[in-house]
Amino acid sequence: MNTPTLLSSCARAATAEEARYRIDYPNSRARSSRIVALDDEAAAIMRRIEDDVWGDAHFLTFRARNPAPGIEALSIDATLARPDGGETRLSAELAGADVVVMIASSGAGIDAAAAVGNACFVRNIMTAGLIVSRDRTDPDVERAVGALRPYAAVLVIAADEEFVPAMLHALRA
Amino acid sequence: MLRKDVNDLLTRTGPDTAMGDLFRQYWMPALLAEELPENDCPPVRVKLMSERLVAFRDSEGRYGLIDEFCAHRGVSLWFGRNEEGGLRCPYHGWKYDYTGQCIEVPSEPEESGFCSKIKLKNYPLIKVGDILWTHMGDPENRPPKPEWEFATVPPEQTFTSKRWQECNWLQAMEGGIDSSHVSWLHSGALVSDPLFKGARGNKYNQGDKRPFFEVVEADGGLFIGARRNAEDGKYYWRITPWVMPSFTMIPPRGDHPVHGHFWVPIDDENCWAWSFDYHPVRALSRDERKAMQDGYGVHVKYTPGSYRPLANKDNDYLMDRAAQRRGETYSGVEGIAMQDASLQESMGPIVDRTKENLVSTDNGIIMARHRLRKAVVALRDKGETPPGVDPAHHKVRSASVVLPPDQAFVDACKEDLTVRPGVKQSSV
Repeated sequence: MNTPTLLSSCARAATAEEARYRIDYPNSRARSSRIVALDDEAAAIMRRIEDDVWGDAHFLTFRARNPAPGIEALSIDATLARPDGGETRLSAELAGADVVVMIASSGAGIDAAAAVGNACFVRNIMTAGLIVSRDRTDPDVERAVGALRPYAAVLVIAADEEFVPAMLHALRA
Repeated sequence: MLRKDVNDLLTRTGPDTAMGDLFRQYWMPALLAEELPENDCPPVRVKLMSERLVAFRDSEGRYGLIDEFCAHRGVSLWFGRNEEGGLRCPYHGWKYDYTGQCIEVPSEPEESGFCSKIKLKNYPLIKVGDILWTHMGDPENRPPKPEWEFATVPPEQTFTSKRWQECNWLQAMEGGIDSSHVSWLHSGALVSDPLFKGARGNKYNQGDKRPFFEVVEADGGLFIGARRNAEDGKYYWRITPWVMPSFTMIPPRGDHPVHGHFWVPIDDENCWAWSFDYHPVRALSRDERKAMQDGYGVHVKYTPGSYRPLANKDNDYLMDRAAQRRGETYSGVEGIAMQDASLQESMGPIVDRTKENLVSTDNGIIMARHRLRKAVVALRDKGETPPGVDPAHHKVRSASVVLPPDQAFVDACKEDLTVRPGVKQSSV
């Protein structure tokens, strides 16, 4: 079993000519993405790209955490704003979500990151954190990183907001 | 997923392409110095970024890199006679010096000065470390010489090889910044390869196959940190630098030499995978150097007389399903370099990125593409010098460290990620 199964089979299979015979079909269904802005500047960045063409992406802005009755420190849900200004609940948005991308520009969204991140964690939903800031050494950015790190499977610190749509398109949001 | 127009933009590197212009801003590896070992040695054919060239070393030791074809009848100067200060076409005796200037046309009267009107395109070729580097861009904008640490440490501390990889440069390079595949594809090598095995960090790699990632922009490119669980609630970080356009380093393991790559386009469907190993503070041991020469670690065994890997697509990479079943290799292909290359070549000459389904942990790749695209456009539209040209950007290191959970690698490891002459690499 140490010999190739078919003489030169990889050599032929990897040619441009053979690439023509790759089956052309949609190999994935639309991904259900939730993009959550955690602070005002992040919300402004998000608003500038909401009208692009997206798959099943919901653009949402964090409004407030909803603590458990009588236990202020324990979030059980959160209120989010839709682009049209209407409100929705985090728990409802996470139902059926494949990935949640949290966008922050400062450390102002620490509570928001915890509320969204925890909710994703208990539901086993993939999370990504994206911090947009020109100055990585800004203490505010460090706070944002610290806030998101426990909850984001991947954390990106981007110098320009152009990366936001680039990343979301790459992920088929 | 990448739109077709962006995929074309990033993968085409020939003359008069936007990405080709970007690559031509940099000093790039062209040949191993061993390929031109002595004065008047045989010339070598070189294809870089879709340009056919010939390299030679003249009687005075000057390196020439010139258009491969004689200006007279288009004969390949690989057939040329390298003698008495130039490369002479064997067809009718036209002779060129190391700058491509024609210095003899035997059929014409010397007094006519005809030969002074003939000049082949040429590029500079300089030796830094074990490599001959070229800059194929505007001579007016020639950057300072490269200052990569692997090429500037004493010769006994470094080893470089190159191998032909039969696919576009970008899909090869993207493998160099994709840390999450190591726990899968190279899992066998972590316990068996003499240049990898034995490090404490390997057990973290093997014990946690779902690393967390942090991607941080750097002046020259990116730092990509992969975080895995270590003891006592601490994190094991493997930090991969990428410097534009195509330099990557692998985070070190124990006291093993540090490895890395340059990915250099030959044409749009082939590239050179340059692979280096060096130790910042000590000579490579005899065993280490032999392992590198024998094709372990990031190096390969060659098809004799060439820089083509012995395991290649013509022999199905010597696929060994029995070794795969025994757990010696994960994919059935032997050797870290060919485990990567076999899969990257299987994608096709230029992978169709409109079909891919990236996930969040691919963000290093997503960001690298984004930065390449931005740099290409800024160069094309505004003439901006891209990141990575400045030799200050060359002074990076990879690192593997264990950190408390609240520390950002990019802050905690600022010094570890910077070249510090005489200071050992930070490695677990």
